[in-house]
Amino acid sequence: MTENAIEINNLTKEFGDFKAVDNLSLNVKSGEIFGFLGPNGAGKSTTIRMLCTLAQPTSGSATVSGYDLVKDAAKVRENIGLVAEKMIMYDALTAAENLRFFGKLYRIPKDELERRIDELLEMVNMQEWKDTQINKFSTGMKQRINVIRALLPEPKIIFMDEPTLGLDPQTTFSIREIIRDINKKGVTVILTTHAMVEAEALSDRVAIIDHGKIAALDTPENLKNMISDVNTTIFSVKITNLSSQLIESIRNLENVTALSQQDDHILKISATGENALNNIIDSIRAKGGNIFSITNSNESTLEDVFLALTGKEIRDHASEKAAPTPHGHGQRAQARVR
Amino acid sequence: MDLMKIFKDSYHIMAKDLLSLRRNKMSLAALFIMPIAFLVMFGFIFPSGNTQTHMPVGVVNLDDGSGSTQFISQLNALNSNNSYLNLQNFTSTDAAKTEINQGKLYGTFIIPPGFSYNMSHGQSADVVMLVDNSNPQIASQIEGVTANTITMMNGQQAVYNVVNMSASTGQSVNPQAMVFPYTPNIQTTIPGQNNYFNFLAPGLMIMIVMMTVMTGIPEAISKEKEIGTFDGMLSAPINQISIILGKTAALCVRGFGQCILILLLAVLFFGVTIQGSILLAFVMLLLGIFSFVGIGIVAVSMSEDQASGTMIVNLLMFPMMFLAGIFYPLQQMPWFMQDIAKVIPLTYAADAMRKIMLLNANLGDVITQVLILVAFGVVTMAIAVPLFRRSMTR
Repeated sequence: MTENAIEINNLTKEFGDFKAVDNLSLNVKSGEIFGFLGPNGAGKSTTIRMLCTLAQPTSGSATVSGYDLVKDAAKVRENIGLVAEKMIMYDALTAAENLRFFGKLYRIPKDELERRIDELLEMVNMQEWKDTQINKFSTGMKQRINVIRALLPEPKIIFMDEPTLGLDPQTTFSIREIIRDINKKGVTVILTTHAMVEAEALSDRVAIIDHGKIAALDTPENLKNMISDVNTTIFSVKITNLSSQLIESIRNLENVTALSQQDDHILKISATGENALNNIIDSIRAKGGNIFSITNSNESTLEDVFLALTGKEIRDHASEKAAPTPHGHGQRAQARVR
Repeated sequence: MDLMKIFKDSYHIMAKDLLSLRRNKMSLAALFIMPIAFLVMFGFIFPSGNTQTHMPVGVVNLDDGSGSTQFISQLNALNSNNSYLNLQNFTSTDAAKTEINQGKLYGTFIIPPGFSYNMSHGQSADVVMLVDNSNPQIASQIEGVTANTITMMNGQQAVYNVVNMSASTGQSVNPQAMVFPYTPNIQTTIPGQNNYFNFLAPGLMIMIVMMTVMTGIPEAISKEKEIGTFDGMLSAPINQISIILGKTAALCVRGFGQCILILLLAVLFFGVTIQGSILLAFVMLLLGIFSFVGIGIVAVSMSEDQASGTMIVNLLMFPMMFLAGIFYPLQQMPWFMQDIAKVIPLTYAADAMRKIMLLNANLGDVITQVLILVAFGVVTMAIAVPLFRRSMTR
């Protein structure tokens, strides 16, 4: 019985002294969309690279589609498709030439290959660009070709590493539609993303990974409930004279567990502890902040879960309570959700 | 592993690489300009062994007899045949020396007083040749030409003397055989005059192929790693050997294209004569590629990015280019350089190429070189392939 598309047992990858993936164990069920979240450098991409046989595990094992990663690497490759962060295509070749080249490596018979190329181009509305060189394409067009390239061999499992990064809303929407479509046809999808809305909307289950380990693994619904306990208050506050100093002082308050800046005036704050809301309002006013309105949004999002689990500090400087600027973590993640 | 599948995948990768190359007009142009530049550059800057002509040389006649006048007219007659010298008359040694100091003359003949007297009294007559040896190359050429000219004039004079003597004594002799009992008859393996391009062209062909393949491998593989397409190939169900084979094959096609161009130019414009089998020459080229492609693969396996890969290859390639006897015959190098040349595969490849193309050597004649190249290739590939496989899944 192959209930699980992927089974990972104590998978570890070390680069010198650094453990990029640390004793990771999890299963991905056949037919699900599995979201893989985590801060930059948490080990998501390394895990995906190992599962695609592009990197050798230091220790531990994993099976993909029932085949061992190391012993049956060739069999694994026959069953997977990869949409990597860097687009896999040659600029000097046309869309069709790119697809043909990779299709041939999968031993797809010629007529069948041409049929699939036409079909897939039609799926992403790019038939008219079939014989145009890739270097004339926009980023969105390239990414659509990049995605259908991975679908060409009709894989059972598809890995997508940030498939909507840097795309306009229209293309993002269409890529998400494709992900849903292929999943309906029974393809297991492993998705890494920083767009929390995307992970929440698409994934059946989500793993939040940090420092090479799983911080949480559940359905998006359960994860949100996990932090929406009675003690946590989540609210947006609009401050007319919002400044970076003020944001810093709020961020450093004891009650505040997570904070993200929504726009020039609005902060979204998660807080715990007795009298949390009162304390925070008092502090803002004490610092001269002019509160315009407060909106209670006790419905937490996956981003709140993410920040609660992985902390507030930016990963580039991993020191404790490093001071992020208003242009830091929260805002960037927010900008991408929109 | 399915061997047919490996070859088919290699073919697809080669076809893809060549298609990309064809679309890139700039690299395509560079590809064809390089061999032309090499042939012209190295063909003309290296000493070709030909003597300069029309070298300005003075003649100072301090003698007042008829012997010196005869000498000068003979000199002029000889020189008008080969034009090595550009003779100018001066009335005094000082006038000629001034011209030498000003760099207008390379040297001067000085016919001392008493020249005619010595001749008519049965003695050898001295002719002084004053050579400006501040430029040693020109000086040695002038010395050579002068010695040659005087020898020829001596011969002519001797023949004339013998004819006179035989007439006065009533003996019938062959004056030519008396004066020149030995006549050299120089025959060469390659018809026509000595030609540096004959030496250069076969070596240049194998060197161009080496450069194309050795710099091409790290370039092509690192580039694909950096833009990300390498992951696409590695995550497909293909053997990693196919990537090496396909990339090498694409580079071979490029290198062969360049070789054919060199061959055409060499034959059409530089008077190179090909006597051997072109087919065997190209088999030799393939064998040469096999012997040094491993070094390129080791370089790409050991380096993180394109820049360092190319650097490692250049570091190895430049000594190989100059020590392998492509431009100079090995025999002209000092012994320690010759020892280094013996461990460079290119040396054997160039040597065998030359023998095949110029001397019509068959496979049996170059079997030593072939075996050495095969051994070199097997050893480097045995190191390179596992290293490459490991570096792919770092």
